[in-house]
Amino acid sequence: MLSVIFGALNPRFLSMRNLLAIFQQIAVLGVATMAMALTLISGGIDLSIGSMIGLSTVIMCRLIMDGTAVPLAILIGAVVPVGCGFLNGVIVAKSKCVPLIVTLGMGYVYYGFALVISGGLFMSMQGQFRTLGRGVIAGIPIPMYVVILMVLGTHVLLKYSKFGRRLVALGGNETVAFLSGIGVDRLKIITYTLGGAIMALASLVLVSRLGNVLANVGEGYELRALAAAIIGGVTFEGGRGNIPGVFLGVGLLGIVQNGLNILQVSSYFQTLALGVIIVAAVVVSNIEKIRQ
Amino acid sequence: MFPVPAFLQCPNPDMEQFPVIETRDINKTFPGVKALSGIDFTLLPGEIHCIVGENGAGKSTFIKILSGFLRPESGDIVIGEETFRYLSPHLSQEQGIQVIYQESLLVPQMNVVENIYVGREITGKLGFIDRRKALSETRKVIESLGIALDPQAMVENLEVADRQFVKIIKALAMNPRVLIMDEPTAMFNAQDTGVVLKLVEDISKRGISVIFISHRLEEVARVGDRVTVFKDGRTVASHDNPRRNIDLAMITREMVGRSVDAFYKKVKTHPGETILEVQGLKLDKDSPEVNFTLRRGEILGIAGLVGSGRTEIVEALFGAGKKIQGKIIIRGREVTIDRPSDAIRAGLGFITEERQRTGLALGLSVAKNMTIAGLNKFKRAFITPADEIRSAGRYVDDLAIKTPSLQQEVRFLSGGNQQKVVIARWLFRESEILIFDEPTIGIDVNAKAEIYRLMSKLAANGAAIIMISSEMPELIAMSDRVLVIKHGQITTELVGENITEEKIITYAFGVTDDEQTA
Repeated sequence: MLSVIFGALNPRFLSMRNLLAIFQQIAVLGVATMAMALTLISGGIDLSIGSMIGLSTVIMCRLIMDGTAVPLAILIGAVVPVGCGFLNGVIVAKSKCVPLIVTLGMGYVYYGFALVISGGLFMSMQGQFRTLGRGVIAGIPIPMYVVILMVLGTHVLLKYSKFGRRLVALGGNETVAFLSGIGVDRLKIITYTLGGAIMALASLVLVSRLGNVLANVGEGYELRALAAAIIGGVTFEGGRGNIPGVFLGVGLLGIVQNGLNILQVSSYFQTLALGVIIVAAVVVSNIEKIRQ
Repeated sequence: MFPVPAFLQCPNPDMEQFPVIETRDINKTFPGVKALSGIDFTLLPGEIHCIVGENGAGKSTFIKILSGFLRPESGDIVIGEETFRYLSPHLSQEQGIQVIYQESLLVPQMNVVENIYVGREITGKLGFIDRRKALSETRKVIESLGIALDPQAMVENLEVADRQFVKIIKALAMNPRVLIMDEPTAMFNAQDTGVVLKLVEDISKRGISVIFISHRLEEVARVGDRVTVFKDGRTVASHDNPRRNIDLAMITREMVGRSVDAFYKKVKTHPGETILEVQGLKLDKDSPEVNFTLRRGEILGIAGLVGSGRTEIVEALFGAGKKIQGKIIIRGREVTIDRPSDAIRAGLGFITEERQRTGLALGLSVAKNMTIAGLNKFKRAFITPADEIRSAGRYVDDLAIKTPSLQQEVRFLSGGNQQKVVIARWLFRESEILIFDEPTIGIDVNAKAEIYRLMSKLAANGAAIIMISSEMPELIAMSDRVLVIKHGQITTELVGENITEEKIITYAFGVTDDEQTA
């Protein structure tokens, strides 16, 4: 429906090139939203995922600029978010603190590291590692394959694996999960670590496409991923939500953003619009409770 | 020197003969249960009126009607010269009724004075809180009551007994005519109990009427001017106790009263070999040691008052609660149980009391709730809906769970069917030692009978069952043996013919000669 509205307002919206562009724009968000959805469904949240992108990509660039072999630099850059996720998981599980605050704070820690490492300057990949973000196979950009594989993988994991069952149960009722013999702390750590691993992939796609980055390159991804997940039917309480729905949420956000771009709405207004969408989505998703 | 606060002044002696509160023919029904039938109750000025009765006898419901939290279907509440059909919490307080509940309603991060004046702070000219005045008022009250309590201590740092005092002072500061105390001495040792009881007597001497609910019959005999016995939602007797020598054996008999109807009886089995042995289980360093055994085919009832530590014992056994020592032997081998997964591996299953809070993930499907403890029963790494139907589906049939499908969210099921889902979880896991904590709480009569039949069948098939229950008929009809718990200690083991309501109550309330602790 939104596509039709935007299409009517500006014919350029419905062109094949633009549709591909939308996909390209949402590739990183789509992957990041999988990480967000998993932590949300487990009854937690990870607000540091945006900063993980910054830290990971800045480290990759720094290493390459310092002459490290490209594959090694990329490997190290990819391990960083996994470590971040693990750390988040350990703190959340062991401290029993509210994950919202823990990961918000940890996001600052990671962002701070990224600022220190980059000195606040642009970091460059020096033209290396361009294929993942910019390559095309059979006329379709590689990031599209990445996001589709990621979505399918997460879907199967969540819906059909034992791990997914346990994760949903954890989000559904932590006491029940505990009394059913699930190692609750361990499961939380695994979930956050997995989220970090997914963010590693998001970071690779983004740095490959952009070529050079600032420490704040991932800013806002956490909130947009959160919005996409909530729009897609995931709840703050956990235990609810399915990945196809979440992916629709990602698509919706992508369409809105692209449409606003094409209509040449200023980025300031876009920020405003995003905020409204997020709050509206959260309120709508809570309608059942309000009625009670 | 200081003006005496109003609530410390003696009432006009001419008022004495008129009741402060009189209820006439109060009736209250909850879905499926008649909670109160025709309660006539009179409270005289300055008297201590004790209410006793088993769990579920209607005491709490009656208190909630007086405090305005529940509305009776019919009947009158006469307070002074006014007659009410029902009260609201606000109206009840306005009429001078104050309730001190068992659970703490204090703000732990505030000090004593702040807690007492919370919501009605004394303010000075500019609208700022007048701390000094509040402090001096509080000091006066504490002194007049003759207790030692630092008004500036943080509530979170106070002992349980002192917190109870704070609650009492807070209630008194509202100038009540009637003070209702729900088990005020429940968690006290003998010395503190004595102080609380003396305080209650002081309060009544000031003309404030006290309704005193207690499970400790010795206390009731000691302070009560009158004792009313509740039984199955009725008042069965009311005795004057002017000489403080009321016959406790008589009270116990009246609390039991009803004949136990054989609505369902466990099929007698010949218990098999011992499957579980608990030796020297201690929850913390001050708690008594718990020892018991359990055999296949047996239902071991655990009786005791609410708060007697029954649940804590099975939680420790299941690895879900704290324990500091104890040997657990299952099928002849000692096992270490530090967390529920250890217990589950050893063959235990736990059907908790609060089904909706700790038993089920309400937003998840029947299938997910049923399989969560036994996911490893699925051979393959990934589980499809077809696998679920094949493996979990039979329990829907076996237990006659009424649900449109395995994918239905459990929150849409009735209480009885929800309970069956929890039971099915452990059957799916093939657990052989099942712990039921209040198995039929909140379940209608028909579903109850089904649950009993199911438990009986499980036992007949070789499972071993521990059943915590507050329902006497259930304990008596279903148990092969009953352990009675009081203050975390097994006070007796009753077998066969000896399992009677009277014996259980006697040991649970501790009105026996070997009673030394309270």
